[in-house]
Amino acid sequence: MEREPLIKRKSAISYKTEEKTVLRGYNLSDLAEEGYTFCDALFVLFQGRIPTEAEEKMLEYEMGEFLEHSMSPSAAAAISTMGGRPQLPAAVAAGVMTFGGAHGPGAAHGYMLNKYLERARVEGKSLKEMGKILVDEYMDAGMPVMGLGQPQHIHGDPRAMPTHRKQKELKVDGVYLDLQEAIEEAFNKRREAEGKKTIAVNMIGAGNTALAELGFAPNAAWGIGILCRGFSCACHAIENMKKGHAWMASTRERMIQMLDLSMIVYDGIPDRPVPSQEEREEYAQGELEKGEYKKWVL
Amino acid sequence: MGTVKGREPFRWHSTISYKTVPKIVTRGYDTTELVEKGYGFADVIFINYQARIPLIKEVKMLHYLMILCLDDGMSSSPSIARFVAKGHNILTQSAGASILAFGHAYGAFQAFGRMLDKYLERAEKEGKSYQEMAEILVKENRGSLTIGVSNLMLKDPAAKRIFARADSLDLSGRYVAFQREVVKAAQKASKEPVDLDMLGAVGATMFDLGFTPEATWSIAALARAFGSTAHAMEEEEREARVLFGQNLQPKENYDGPADRSVPSLKDRDKAAKPGQAKTLDEWRKAFDERAKLGGSGWAIVEEIADPRKLAKVKNQ
Repeated sequence: MEREPLIKRKSAISYKTEEKTVLRGYNLSDLAEEGYTFCDALFVLFQGRIPTEAEEKMLEYEMGEFLEHSMSPSAAAAISTMGGRPQLPAAVAAGVMTFGGAHGPGAAHGYMLNKYLERARVEGKSLKEMGKILVDEYMDAGMPVMGLGQPQHIHGDPRAMPTHRKQKELKVDGVYLDLQEAIEEAFNKRREAEGKKTIAVNMIGAGNTALAELGFAPNAAWGIGILCRGFSCACHAIENMKKGHAWMASTRERMIQMLDLSMIVYDGIPDRPVPSQEEREEYAQGELEKGEYKKWVL
Repeated sequence: MGTVKGREPFRWHSTISYKTVPKIVTRGYDTTELVEKGYGFADVIFINYQARIPLIKEVKMLHYLMILCLDDGMSSSPSIARFVAKGHNILTQSAGASILAFGHAYGAFQAFGRMLDKYLERAEKEGKSYQEMAEILVKENRGSLTIGVSNLMLKDPAAKRIFARADSLDLSGRYVAFQREVVKAAQKASKEPVDLDMLGAVGATMFDLGFTPEATWSIAALARAFGSTAHAMEEEEREARVLFGQNLQPKENYDGPADRSVPSLKDRDKAAKPGQAKTLDEWRKAFDERAKLGGSGWAIVEEIADPRKLAKVKNQ
């Protein structure tokens, strides 16, 4: 069997010989044999180090907590994708790939914290001061402050505050949590001053802060979050595959299905006849001149 | 658009989880309560996939297996994640691409699991021992690369250590037992040295932990995707980005039709050859001819279920 590398790259992550697979210097099989957990191995993968027990516990907590979130864009995408009956990895990948600027924007939050931590250091400001500066800069610019508010858990994400508390309980808190809490405080003080309701921290604000504190780079933290969620996406997709109907449009089910024709609301251009080829040029020219089509252009 | 009379409105229906404003519940357990009470990541995987709290030794075994799935050097999934990263996009795309690399050869846990289930069921129905049925499996799947036995782990003890760990935790069940017989049967039938490989070891042990072939497929693909994200980031850190139209393909690596001039549109009819076959012999001839052209797809023949071999059901 051909065993040459698929691509030739220098890598500081891993190598593989006929005898062993080595990750950051550790034989993977030895790592497992010794009784390290998958969470320990993620520290080795992303940071090249064995974590403390408290750090491992914090990651276990966070990944256990983040894995399932019922109906979010990720689970919905996995289920919808499975409706077409591709192979399972397509549905799992679809779930994972829903994460972006709105759904779990973990990396961006991490980069924001790093930027303001550096500014606090360079400008000689306390984290409390820098939290307020961050909030004011974002809010003055009309930009949402990342890590706050959740569209479904309108009274506060039930996972978020316990995550903050767990960080302190396990003594894995540091500058990231200090800055995050300063952001939350400054943000809500300003909202109260503006006569608005307070908004609680969400799982990006809490979870990503914890991951950053554990030493994960913004993208590594994001990768951990999205892939952790991938497991529940897989479950939802498998449930659809094994217990649901393909297409999700059957009219024989008691409940109207997601893609039932009745679910479609159309408010576009009214029905119109197709011009014949003889009429086409004049018709097309007319449309260009009227320009009404422009309001429908995407 | 369609009729809704007498039917319930659409709702997301799930037997896995629900959430309300104050909580998220999976298989009946509040997820925050779970982690507050000390349950971890692997526990929640068991709960999500199997709706049960696992034994501690089962959790240990799952961690063990996922560590071994985490990285494999520069194999398909990290390589494709790296290629995607070269386009300078967001990490989720590399992670998704890594998962998409899993199929029925690379990381073939679904196919492998279904195969074991099929032969285990036959063993029961036909009253055959695992040894007898393993020999049948090997005979009927000659040439298959995905029976969990190959020459990939002849010098690396990691696969055999998995079974040893499952034994020591008293978690080896019928899948591990049967796979051991498959290894013996394959070794007997093969002229070359072969042994248990990672597909066979991880797969059989996961099945004995109660994970279905589909669950195993997704768990392995996701565990590997963690490793792939590190590779994607390293690609971004250490390698150049690639632009649309940048890469050349040297002519010496090309073995398609020789260079030829493009016929003018007015000569098109002279140059064009209709693709339609009027007889089955013509069709077969065209099929075979087309299959010679790499990238046409005609040389790929995918297995589809033979309805003649399926149990008859009532008319639909």
